[in-house]
Amino acid sequence: MSSGAGREQVFPTRQVLGQMNSKLKGAQTGHSLLKRKSEALTKRFREILKRIDEAKRKMGRVMQIAAFSLAEVTYAAGGDVGYQVQESVKNARFRIRTKQENVSGVFLPQFESYTKEDINDFQLTGLGKGGQQVKRCRETYARAVETLVELASLQTAFVILDETIKVVNRRVNAIEHVIIPRTENTIKYINSELDELDREEFYRLKKVSNKKQRDQAASDKEMKAKRQQEQQNGVKKNDDEDEEEAKDVLGEHEDDDVIF
Amino acid sequence: MSVTYAMGGAVTALTIIGLYMLFNGEGEQFNVGQVLETISPYAWADVGIALCIGLSVVGAAWGIFITGTSILGGGVKAPRIRTKNLISIIFCEVVAIYGVIMSIVFSSKLSLVPEDQLYSGSNYYTGYALFWAGLTVGMCNMICGISVGINGSSAALADATDGSLFVKVLVIEIFSSVLGLFGLIIGLLVQGKANEFA
Amino acid sequence: MEGLYFNVNGGYLEGIVRGYRNVLLTGSQYGNLTQCENIDDIKMQLGPSYGDALASLPPNPSTSALADKTTEKLVQDFRYLQGQATGSLAKFMEYLTYSYMIDNVALLITGTLHERDTKELLERCHPLGWFETMPVLCVATNIEELYNSVLIETPLAPYFKGHLSHHDLDELNIEIVRNTLYKNYLEDFHHFVNNDSEMAMTPTGEIMSEILEFEADRRAINITLNSFGTELSKDQRRKLYPDFGKLYPEGMLMLSRADDIEGVSLAVSGVGDYKRFFDEVGLNQSSSGVGNMAGGSGAESKSLEDLFYQKEMELSKLVFTQQFTHAVIYAWVKLREQEIRNITWIAECIAQGQKDRIGNYISVF
Repeated sequence: MSSGAGREQVFPTRQVLGQMNSKLKGAQTGHSLLKRKSEALTKRFREILKRIDEAKRKMGRVMQIAAFSLAEVTYAAGGDVGYQVQESVKNARFRIRTKQENVSGVFLPQFESYTKEDINDFQLTGLGKGGQQVKRCRETYARAVETLVELASLQTAFVILDETIKVVNRRVNAIEHVIIPRTENTIKYINSELDELDREEFYRLKKVSNKKQRDQAASDKEMKAKRQQEQQNGVKKNDDEDEEEAKDVLGEHEDDDVIF
Repeated sequence: MSVTYAMGGAVTALTIIGLYMLFNGEGEQFNVGQVLETISPYAWADVGIALCIGLSVVGAAWGIFITGTSILGGGVKAPRIRTKNLISIIFCEVVAIYGVIMSIVFSSKLSLVPEDQLYSGSNYYTGYALFWAGLTVGMCNMICGISVGINGSSAALADATDGSLFVKVLVIEIFSSVLGLFGLIIGLLVQGKANEFA
Repeated sequence: MEGLYFNVNGGYLEGIVRGYRNVLLTGSQYGNLTQCENIDDIKMQLGPSYGDALASLPPNPSTSALADKTTEKLVQDFRYLQGQATGSLAKFMEYLTYSYMIDNVALLITGTLHERDTKELLERCHPLGWFETMPVLCVATNIEELYNSVLIETPLAPYFKGHLSHHDLDELNIEIVRNTLYKNYLEDFHHFVNNDSEMAMTPTGEIMSEILEFEADRRAINITLNSFGTELSKDQRRKLYPDFGKLYPEGMLMLSRADDIEGVSLAVSGVGDYKRFFDEVGLNQSSSGVGNMAGGSGAESKSLEDLFYQKEMELSKLVFTQQFTHAVIYAWVKLREQEIRNITWIAECIAQGQKDRIGNYISVF
């Protein structure tokens, strides 16, 4: 999996390596968190799915009964009362309010139905005949709409959850299959680059030290000659020692890297 | 309504005239017997014959239209009834035939008689007999015709509803068509004793 | 005596109506219908009675299309009879259509008040209640105009005049308007059959009186039952009762005072038939009248409405035992309507797979 992921375009420096390491760590924590979230959502999702299934079956039954009770009204009232009912209704008797529910950071709207008992616009429909059937039909349909509202609430939750789960899963997958491998690759790359650099440095140091030794030997000789020559002059020696010290410090730093 | 007014007017006029004559001592001019006696026996006989055939035909026609309309209506949805129910029409028609027969029999009594011999007892008898026999036959036939007509109409509708009912209703219809025969027999008996005008 | 003259005007029509009555569906035909698997089967079973009327239906039509076509056939037959009718019979048949006109006018009033599309309204009107000037009603824009045009253009004017003002149209519930009209119509019809020179003292008058009295009682009882729990006051209710009928006047008075179903059953206990109905339904009506879970009364028990329909059908059936009366036309129309309702019901049951309630139709033949 590492091969296809490629790596980020970075400068292989130790600083970036540090960054990458922390990024990897972050990615891993994120991955586990998201995974957990996705699991929680999926659990919820399954639950809702089950309830939707139930609600749909119930709706099937209730709607059938409701449609049938309408047939009863048509039979009893001896005609189409639909138009009259439509015309005489002014206010909704059956109403809905929404609530929000928070499921692991996802807001799910929930519909809740209630009836306003004082609004009863077509109570006189079928006064002459079929009034009781109309009343019964109304009650049946109120129940049917209740079921529908419940179903709508579940469906909305279902859709939203579905979306969220997809997004979360995409993220999990992205982290798992792209970001982590890529970061790992980058780290590997940086490491190998740094190793390479180290080796180069080592070689160069070797060369430098060789040269230095040569130079040292030469300068030693020279020094010896000079010392002998300048036994009398001590001022210039001080300067040379300073330079020596600075180089040593740099060498030590390089050494640290190699060890790391 | 207009009939009531006309009747009322006539009755009032008659009453006034009658009372006027009565109070003026001319009451005996209201002589029914004399009026009847002065009417010619020919008139009685001819009116009798006319009533006989006329009422019979009215009865038959009445019966036929009562039956006929029902057969027409019933035949729209049940065309099978139309031939069978012609029987009802024929029954009605028979009534008219009775009338015709009787009128022919009656009219055979008519013959020309000199005027001075007209007002004899025998001629009076013949005149009255023909009149009342004709009226009997006519009324009987008319009632019979209506009765057959109504029965026939029911028979047609019953037949249209249920074919097996036709025969049953037809039996009843036969009984009502017999009514005309009764009148016919009595008519024959009554005129049988009357002699030809002589 | 009616036998002597009735056939002059009515013999042909009576024959035809009886012919129509003979093709009404019988119990065994209903039995066949209930065995059908789909609407197409029903269509086929109805073939002998309805003939070509159903031929234009598409395969597997909806129940409402079926109902429309059957109604169309009824209207066609009725129009044919009306074309043949003369004299008092023509008037009688006009009276028959008034009850549908009331529904139509009520519909138009509702529609006009809510400024609906005229064409759509006219399409929804019952074809039996169609009168020539009906489209004129839709032109009216405000209540007063509408009221005036109703007075001028409709045959229903006498039912409006003196009982409803144009304010009433606006303020009262349309159902109250409709029932007031219907009450006036029933009274007028009752008066007509008992006082028309050709109908008074004939079987027509007697039979129609009985039927109309039943109708009046039924309406009164229904209105009372249906007004429980609504804003309809007792006073208003009283005004909707027709002023005749077997229950009139004491029964009606008691009805107007009734507060619950017991009061109603007490009010009607004076008339044997109604008492029996209430005894039959009394138990389940009070216990399961409201809020029963099945969305309808139990499968086997009949509602009061059903019993009334049953009674109406029996009355209508009995009318055919009497010859030489206009009432056969009334009875035939009612029987046909019930038949259409039955067909719709059976079709609905089959379409919705509710076979257990399918036997709820009313068949008297």
